[in-house]
Amino acid sequence: MSEYIVEMRHITKRFPGIIANNDVSIGIRKGEVYALLGENGAGKSTLMSMLFGMYEPDEGEILIDGKTVTFHSSTDAAACSIGMVHQHFKLVEPFTIAENIVLGVEPVEKRLGVLPWVNIRKANEQISELSKAYGLEVNPTDRIEDVPVSVRQRVEILKMLYRGAEIMIFDEPTAVLTPQEIDFLLQIIDNLRKDGKTIILITHKIAEIKRIADRCAILRQGRLIDVRDVAESSVQDLADLMVGRQVRFTQDKAAPNFRDPVLEVQNLTVRDEHKFEVVKDVSFTVHGGEIFAIAGVSGNGQEEIADAIAGLVKAASGKIILNGKDITGEPVRERCLTGLSYIPEDRNATGTIPDMTLQENLALREYYKEPFSKKGILQHDAFRRYADQLIETYDIRCAQGPDTVLRSMSGGNQQKAIVGREIEEQTSLIIFVQPTRGLDIGAIENIHRQILQERDRGAAILLISLELEEVMMLADTIGVLYRGEMLRIDSAENMTMQEVGRYMMGVREA
Amino acid sequence: MNKVFTDGLSFALPLLIMAVGALYSEKSGVTNLAIEGFQGVGAFFGALAATLLAPLMGNGNQMIIYIAILCAAVGGALFSCIHGLLCIRFRANQVISGVVINILSVALTAFFTSAANTAINGTASNKFVLDVSARFSIPLLSQIPWIGGLFTNMYPFEIIIIVLVIILWYLLNRTRFGMRLRACGENPQAVDAAGANVIRIRWAAVMISGALSGIGGICFAYSLIGNFSPSIYQGFGYLAIAAMIFGNWSIGPTTLACLVFGLAKSGGLQLCIAAGLPSNYTDLFLMLPYVLTLLLLVFFSKKNHPPKAAGEPWDKSKR
Amino acid sequence: MKKKNIFLARRLTGRYASLWVSVIAILLTIVTASILLLIMGKNPLTAFASFLQGCGFLAKENYGGGSGQLTDMLDFLNYLTPLILASLAFITAFKAGLFNIGISGQMLLAGFTATVLVGYNKALSPFIAKPLVLLIGLIVGGLTGVLVGYLKYRFNIHEVVSTIMINYIISYLTGFFINNYHVDMMTRNSKVCTPEARLTLTNVMIGDMKCKIPLGLIIAILIALLVSFLFRKTVLGFEIKAVGQNRRCSEYSGIRVSRTILISMGLSGAIAGLAGVAYYLGYTNTIIPKSLPSMGYDSISVALLGSGSPIGSIFAAAVVSVFQQGSNYMSSSLGVAKEIASLITGILLLFASCGNYMKYLAGRTMQQTSEIASQGSSRTAPASPESKEAKTK
Repeated sequence: MSEYIVEMRHITKRFPGIIANNDVSIGIRKGEVYALLGENGAGKSTLMSMLFGMYEPDEGEILIDGKTVTFHSSTDAAACSIGMVHQHFKLVEPFTIAENIVLGVEPVEKRLGVLPWVNIRKANEQISELSKAYGLEVNPTDRIEDVPVSVRQRVEILKMLYRGAEIMIFDEPTAVLTPQEIDFLLQIIDNLRKDGKTIILITHKIAEIKRIADRCAILRQGRLIDVRDVAESSVQDLADLMVGRQVRFTQDKAAPNFRDPVLEVQNLTVRDEHKFEVVKDVSFTVHGGEIFAIAGVSGNGQEEIADAIAGLVKAASGKIILNGKDITGEPVRERCLTGLSYIPEDRNATGTIPDMTLQENLALREYYKEPFSKKGILQHDAFRRYADQLIETYDIRCAQGPDTVLRSMSGGNQQKAIVGREIEEQTSLIIFVQPTRGLDIGAIENIHRQILQERDRGAAILLISLELEEVMMLADTIGVLYRGEMLRIDSAENMTMQEVGRYMMGVREA
Repeated sequence: MNKVFTDGLSFALPLLIMAVGALYSEKSGVTNLAIEGFQGVGAFFGALAATLLAPLMGNGNQMIIYIAILCAAVGGALFSCIHGLLCIRFRANQVISGVVINILSVALTAFFTSAANTAINGTASNKFVLDVSARFSIPLLSQIPWIGGLFTNMYPFEIIIIVLVIILWYLLNRTRFGMRLRACGENPQAVDAAGANVIRIRWAAVMISGALSGIGGICFAYSLIGNFSPSIYQGFGYLAIAAMIFGNWSIGPTTLACLVFGLAKSGGLQLCIAAGLPSNYTDLFLMLPYVLTLLLLVFFSKKNHPPKAAGEPWDKSKR
Repeated sequence: MKKKNIFLARRLTGRYASLWVSVIAILLTIVTASILLLIMGKNPLTAFASFLQGCGFLAKENYGGGSGQLTDMLDFLNYLTPLILASLAFITAFKAGLFNIGISGQMLLAGFTATVLVGYNKALSPFIAKPLVLLIGLIVGGLTGVLVGYLKYRFNIHEVVSTIMINYIISYLTGFFINNYHVDMMTRNSKVCTPEARLTLTNVMIGDMKCKIPLGLIIAILIALLVSFLFRKTVLGFEIKAVGQNRRCSEYSGIRVSRTILISMGLSGAIAGLAGVAYYLGYTNTIIPKSLPSMGYDSISVALLGSGSPIGSIFAAAVVSVFQQGSNYMSSSLGVAKEIASLITGILLLFASCGNYMKYLAGRTMQQTSEIASQGSSRTAPASPESKEAKTK
């Protein structure tokens, strides 16, 4: 009998252009919480995807209970009692919770002895019982599209339990949760451990590892750096190992210097396509030199506020005033010219045109003005000159210079390009939505520094982030959004992280 | 009045089976504009079988029709593999693929019809003449005032289609296969993570849509035109897609939309005859279903919810 | 074999990748068509030669009185002219991410309107009639295109469905008017239009050969250059391309998407209208009622084969025209049904639509070869602590 329930030996996995895992070997004991620590792109998720059968390793072998196994699909992995909660939940939105849980292992019965059908009522009962047993209360007949993120995560955990998983992989499970929800989740993980399950936790948050994990493997650039007993390692040690250099945990932030109001949002209401009010009667003011952060759990109306200010969605009612001018009904371009720039959440869907070149993407705000075009005719050398300049200033790494197709660049460099393009406009209001999503620590530090620089220049900053640490670190003023309503707006000094977290869950009186 | 219902139904049902075909494909996440091509090629195979069998089994033998329908389904399914190959295997743009297949199908059937006719009877005719299908009325039901026409002078294929659609509804909404198929069109990653084979399900869905469209095509050939010729390509495949869009990708409302189309078409024609207009004016009334489609699309397109993953090729290795 | 793969892969990832895709598609089509012809017991070489002979690229064995290789060549150009225009129409909409399947209908409506308004008016001098025909083509086609664009952005109606519906509506509507008011009782087609209005000069004697001169060809080439200029050099072209590639980002960067869609559909329709008048008042000078020109669909093959390049589409149109226009002669000299021309075009389209996959495969092959080259270094990485731990157990 092997000491390890899971062993991965000399695993190497290549993707076009990168080596995601390079000769990684780990062993996990039964009944422990084993953490995989590393930055974005360190190869944690890839490694676990191989354990879960979603990819096959190019080299190396996987052993479960001391026996070599080869997984061609996640079905094979599930047959070895392995389950995984992915970072991006794998849920079918119009399906009910129960339907999602049984998908792939449906309870099929024969109606009248011949007609096969899926007995969903039986599944509902089973799931009710299972959810009670583990303290994961869900209503099996709710549709996924109607339930919040934390419930969706419970559904993913129930999926594993329903399949009788003994080895459970959690990929960045806390990224989308409030502090209170994180507490709840860690409690659940602890219960599962007591129940004899083996837990693998993929994360880049060291605090959580300290709270829950027994051992921790650190990955950097696809290689295994070290395996530590968590109890014997300090937070600073783990952080330095993860990044490969000394990490600074705080940004130097000068005292704010508020100037005149730049953006005034008055009683803004936004409706979605079903006429549902996703933003309800929201009012706030952002001054020059102020970072106003909107905190909230994903899907509570943050993106809609940003889009409404930028003009991408219509305001159902209310007023948006920028630099003293009512821009509520203005088209997007007019708003930009009035002094607005916007770093959107989704780099590829909104922020760039991935199949165009870097120089074209960098000129998206300027292409119609001189010197980029004269009398409707494009001036390609102006595009190139401008791109060269921004590549230099913002340290954008690109293989073919201004002619690089944007899609072929890394996420971090795409983000640099967007941030550079928007900051270069020198507008009085800059909206940042999730500006550091999916970036590594170096890039995050860089963007945080730029946000602070812009504030100190006198720009008004509207920061929308799901990362509560980011909000707490940067904001001068915090507004907490819950189901489209602004529950509280206050100076950042007057609120603790726990307090903000409670508002994020809709508790009005903290 | 009776004629309106009788003709309306015989137009609506082939349209419906094609719309359900399109629905299966789109629900699995493969946008399908190739219905027009599938139905034409399916009808070609059915008509070819009928032409070949007629001398063997005797003219007027009604069995031929059933064999023709079967052959149309098989032929449509086989031809739909091109769409599967392009969309699923080669990850081509699914709209382009649909258009390409429609163009190709017109050329293919025209070429092979004349080639087959040359081989069979030496004339390079571009049509297969089909026997007249027997028709029947359901006793009692056909006597009901007002709507009796729905049950009068029915083609046998109408019953086949009604039964098929009920089975297809059950398959899509109550069985494991249907559940996974619907999930594939919304979130293929979820299906893959749950251990089902997205590629295989999508192939099955595309081939089902090919088979169903083929059935629709041969039924049109029998009921509307009476032969197989290039006039099978009258845009019925697109009408079916439009019906599916009004039906919001759901079989019940789609059935309703098809009935509306069918009745509008037959109603318009009867109106023209009743008004005593010369036959030249029928062209104007033949235009009605298309005008109606456009108008209905104007009212219903905005709040529709197509399957989320439709049109996106599924690539397992994508991270 | 391996070496050849890399040879192709390098070309398919290089600068002229799109050109190579087209070349490969044409080669594959020729191979497929040859197999088809062999099965039918015909010699593919003779067949392809006769396609070329039918278009005046190769000399036929004998010619009738008053005709010669030049006659065939000019007939070929006469057919080519509307096809170039039609494919430019498709490209203009395609760059904005729109599939204009309605080119047939736009051609028919423009051709019909111009025929009725100008083609039957015997009083007009050619110098007024011909420009008027072009103008009507532009306006009628353009308005039809704008309607499709409007339905698209205002009511969210997919342009493929709406254009098909409009195609049939136009087909029945014009059919109704032709059958009732403008029919030629002998041919059952519409009455022919006047030579003054026709865009092709007929019965021009060059030497002893009676030839047709397609005036529209100059316009077609001019429009190709204009479309090329539009997308390479102008702000409008940049905006259309942006909308075609990422509608949401275009909106975000301040482009008025709905206006851009209207403009590109309008331009597309207008060029299709020109194609329509070049076809109905040039190539033919009559309209078959209730029949949509198959050229509207062939234009999609041309655009795909030319991989969306306006200049490339001139050459792609020539390839497709050889098959379409040469099929008559091929059919009569070899006894193969002339429908094979459409079949070959369809197969060509099939292969051309796999272009992206070809490029993807090529990209992967290149990646693999470069990785094999660099693997030596990554293998020698020092073993990490835990791998030692694992070995000792």
